[in-house]
Amino acid sequence: MSHAVIASLSGFSLLPSYTVIGLTLGGVYALAATGLVLIYRVSGVLNFAHGAVAMFSTFVAYQISVVAGVPSPIGLLAAVATGAALGFVIEFLTIRPLAGRPPLTKVAVTIAWLLVLQTAAGLIWGSTGYHRPVQLVGSNGFTVPFTNVVVGYDQLTIFLVAVGLSLGTSALLRWTSLGAQMRAVADDPQAARLWGIDVDRVSAASWMIGSAMAAVAGVLITPLLNFDTYSLTVLVIDAFTAALIGRLTNLPLTVVGAILLGLVQYYPKAFFNQAGLSELSTFVLALITLAVVFRPGLAASRGRG
Amino acid sequence: MSGPVSRNRRLGLAAVVAAVALLPALESDFQRGLDSDAVIIALLVLSVVVLTGFVGQISFCQYSFAAMGAFTVGALMDGHGWSFWLALPVGVTVAVLAGVLVGIPALRLSGLLLAVLTVAVALFTDRFLLVTGTWDGFSGGAVPWHPSRPSLLGAPLTGSYAYYLFALAILCVAVLLVWNLRRGRAGRVLRAVRDSELAAATVGLDVTAWKLAAFGLSAGIAGLAGALLAVRIGSVSPGSYDFLHSVQLTALATVMGVSAIAAAPAAGIATVFGPELLSGIAVSSTWFPLLIGTALILQLVLVPEGAVVRTRHDMARLARLVSGRRGRDPAIAEAAR
Repeated sequence: MSHAVIASLSGFSLLPSYTVIGLTLGGVYALAATGLVLIYRVSGVLNFAHGAVAMFSTFVAYQISVVAGVPSPIGLLAAVATGAALGFVIEFLTIRPLAGRPPLTKVAVTIAWLLVLQTAAGLIWGSTGYHRPVQLVGSNGFTVPFTNVVVGYDQLTIFLVAVGLSLGTSALLRWTSLGAQMRAVADDPQAARLWGIDVDRVSAASWMIGSAMAAVAGVLITPLLNFDTYSLTVLVIDAFTAALIGRLTNLPLTVVGAILLGLVQYYPKAFFNQAGLSELSTFVLALITLAVVFRPGLAASRGRG
Repeated sequence: MSGPVSRNRRLGLAAVVAAVALLPALESDFQRGLDSDAVIIALLVLSVVVLTGFVGQISFCQYSFAAMGAFTVGALMDGHGWSFWLALPVGVTVAVLAGVLVGIPALRLSGLLLAVLTVAVALFTDRFLLVTGTWDGFSGGAVPWHPSRPSLLGAPLTGSYAYYLFALAILCVAVLLVWNLRRGRAGRVLRAVRDSELAAATVGLDVTAWKLAAFGLSAGIAGLAGALLAVRIGSVSPGSYDFLHSVQLTALATVMGVSAIAAAPAAGIATVFGPELLSGIAVSSTWFPLLIGTALILQLVLVPEGAVVRTRHDMARLARLVSGRRGRDPAIAEAAR
């Protein structure tokens, strides 16, 4: 790093407000990562197009709410519908026919979807430039008592909605009949089929719910970054990193990992003035996680044979 | 491809190479520039063939390896006044080292997690390492490097045809190298590693070392392509080496069929002339990645072996029909392998 890096002790005074932003961002990552883990656990496919699905759905919300001026909750609903529809199409048309093929073939299909969605979005909405965010809640806020930290109502809403939905998914898996079926399919698809579970239907449900979560995450993150098609598509690496912390299976740990990632991405910005620091933090955290969490021969090669 | 190559086949290949070398003599400078790009893309696809086709490892950071070659050559030539011939081996070495570094986690990670890691590497390179202010001595900072074209044995490679021939020669050498590798002991070992790591380890092969070697070779070829691209364009900027380029490259190589070396030239021709054809028929060339993505989806669902292998298969079947010959054709035997 060169002269552009300016270290300053005054960065410490920024930490409280950066904590707020980091937590908000972490909440969004938690939501995206939960969707990713849900899809991976149930269908055995690591979805590299997760960010692209989020991006495309978000741009649908952008078109409806920002360009056409329809109230943003309707835009959000449209994004959710788009995400679920994309999830269904990807699963039904391109994952289901690949049953029994190697995991890397399925990865290649999701990569193809990434390319298709990314290019299509670029053609429709332009691949660069400033886009006004889809603002669900006003950005005014309140001061935390006894401190001078300001929390925006939008930030609070984003955090609560995102973490609520993530934990809600854990609850769904644990306590509902669909959740039980999903866990059965995740553990052993063949055995689940013998028990009379419609494995295809459950798998499609996981793709639809997981992709809808990605869509919500995409819409929620728009006020937090200068978003374009590329920056939302690469959201997938943040979701991956959080999911890796949860070993790609554990949802509560994934939420914790996501919040950790949000903070780790933001804290360095208090001390250094340098572009790309978030990406550096993500990379380092991903490396550490891969080194510490994954031992040879663990869960890693899971995928329906 | 086992067994000796038939004399006819060798003559046929020589004729194709000669035609590919001579035809651009009739073309415009612009067209020859595209031809050079096709050769460079072919080299990049060859790097994917080595990694994905030989050891079954998928990578989404081939353009990051290319960037290592390109930016090293750019920085050494433009920033330090080095000759291209000294900068090139350094650039390739840097790329090889980067490849081995990325491959090291293969010691403990499955192919799937390693693929995730390559995404992280691509985004780290594209959104941190090459960003202005991080390491301007390498990335060039706000003003991109402008490496100039070298001369070879006193003949300047500034002309579009000369440079095309130079790039084509390098591609031929690289293809021969990879081809020989595949036919020899190394090829057998790598296929064993690809087909079953467990079985390969059981018969005493050092799977990790071979995977690392494949990563190094693949990254080296990509770095070579990056260096050629830097000098061909005369400017090195981070946007040409980002994650999406890598994704598109991997998709393209998969469409063509990563198990066949012939996928490399086929993909080169497709990426460079595909967009040209599209602009010819009034569809914007920005649609090209959309077509590759769609083609990849259709191919994986309908034609799993890849376009090149499938075509070879079909041609062999056609030849058999025409000649009325029965039995297994060598091309089919290979496709089936």
